[in-house]
Amino acid sequence: MQALALLYLLWEATAFAFPAWPSPRTVFGALMDDFRQPVFRAALAGSAWRMLVGYTLVILVGISGGLLLGRVPLIDQIIGSFAVAIHAIPGAAWVPLSIIWFGMTERAVIFTILLGASGIVMVSTDTGIREVPPLVARAARTLGARGTKYFWFVVVPSAIPKIVDGLRLAWAFGWRALMAGELLTSVSGLGQLLSQVAKAGQLDQLLAIMLLIASIGIAVDGLVFKRLEHAVRVRWGLA
Amino acid sequence: MRVELRHIFKSFPHNGSSLEVLHDINLTVAEGEFVCLVGPSGCGKSTIIHLVAGLERPTSGDILVGGRPVTGPDPSRTVVFQDAALFPWLNVLGNVEFGLRMAGLPPVRRRARALEYLKLVHLSRFTTAYPHQLSGGMKQRAAIARALALQPEILLLDEPFAALDAQTRAVLQNELMEIWELARPTILFVTHNVREATGLADRVYVISSRPGQIRDVQAIHVPRPRHAEDAALLAHQHKILELLGEEVEKVLQDELGERVHFPEAQHPVPPEQSRGMHS
Repeated sequence: MQALALLYLLWEATAFAFPAWPSPRTVFGALMDDFRQPVFRAALAGSAWRMLVGYTLVILVGISGGLLLGRVPLIDQIIGSFAVAIHAIPGAAWVPLSIIWFGMTERAVIFTILLGASGIVMVSTDTGIREVPPLVARAARTLGARGTKYFWFVVVPSAIPKIVDGLRLAWAFGWRALMAGELLTSVSGLGQLLSQVAKAGQLDQLLAIMLLIASIGIAVDGLVFKRLEHAVRVRWGLA
Repeated sequence: MRVELRHIFKSFPHNGSSLEVLHDINLTVAEGEFVCLVGPSGCGKSTIIHLVAGLERPTSGDILVGGRPVTGPDPSRTVVFQDAALFPWLNVLGNVEFGLRMAGLPPVRRRARALEYLKLVHLSRFTTAYPHQLSGGMKQRAAIARALALQPEILLLDEPFAALDAQTRAVLQNELMEIWELARPTILFVTHNVREATGLADRVYVISSRPGQIRDVQAIHVPRPRHAEDAALLAHQHKILELLGEEVEKVLQDELGERVHFPEAQHPVPPEQSRGMHS
């Protein structure tokens, strides 16, 4: 709380010193006005929708990909380094390829999210699959767990903390990829609004939208993922 | 089921060469017998448990259970590990049911059997608790219930009470005894606690270390229930401590590079050459 207050004061001070730089009040005012505009609310809803669809795909593709990589050595040999490479490419860098394949459409944006965020889920899942605690593995084997049962009832559950870590990071990467995708295509959404107000030179609007983007990212991370991660770690005895 | 270890040798690769952990181990556990292995830390006692459980293969020698060689882990030989090794994502009931689930028991029978064993270990009120919510003693109880629910022919215990305080340990030892007298599985129990070994076992093998070898075996003919102050028990303990004292001195000499002397040890050491220690 004190940190936020300090930042606010700092911001007011800079705005006072540099008149061209919008003050917090101006920016919050612009944001409040925005929420009264149907166009703005539609853009926000659009972004949220795309994120939902994209992230769901990330979970499905990322986890199943990671499970395959961890379980089937052949697949790991063939596309293992590929997964790591995908993970290494920032979301924004996927936009040109997405546009080429899907045009300036919503699908391109969702594809960008998929490529920008599924890599980390795959890598985390794969790591989790490989790192079953030896004690758990031994106990399970003496209790008769073998083969497929061993995989689904022991390996996968013990990988869940790592998978959840991956999902949390994927949210952050995915949100970034979404913004990049909307910014660079003409699909309506917060990212596209950002590009519009930048072209119109509306600095207060620009800052307002950036603030909103950051706040949503932080809020979802803090309220959903951080809590989930902590709850999982406590139960798994890691925290 | 009878357990036999014949001429067991076990070495592990270590820094390029190999470290011999067990040297010519020969031991048997008769069907329904309670046998303890006692020895200092690092003498390979846990390795023996892993070998009988089928988690490791011997470098040479035979391990026979019920006359048949051990080729891998099997639910007829369950293990209670020193730190319980409960599955953190399952609650107590889920943990105890785990082996039964692997065995393909239908849900209703699984649950009934699990609850039966949880009652035996006095954990009926904690069936929905998760391992992270349990104390050390409760975790071990759950681990024992989990291992017993499969009604194994052989129960292997690897220093199961070592991490517990003395009172909890005493209570669990009694519970284990009660359970054993009901079902009479064959038990192989590893510990470094001499009192525990003599209090529980029909026979005690004393294992030396580096490499692990059978130093002695003592048959404890004291009838149960046994009392801690029983003279015969104390005599056994004294004998075992003497043997172990020599072993521990050996280990410490290796580790500290100096000679350490325990009063109970048999060989005389000139006072100027040693640091006195009292167990």
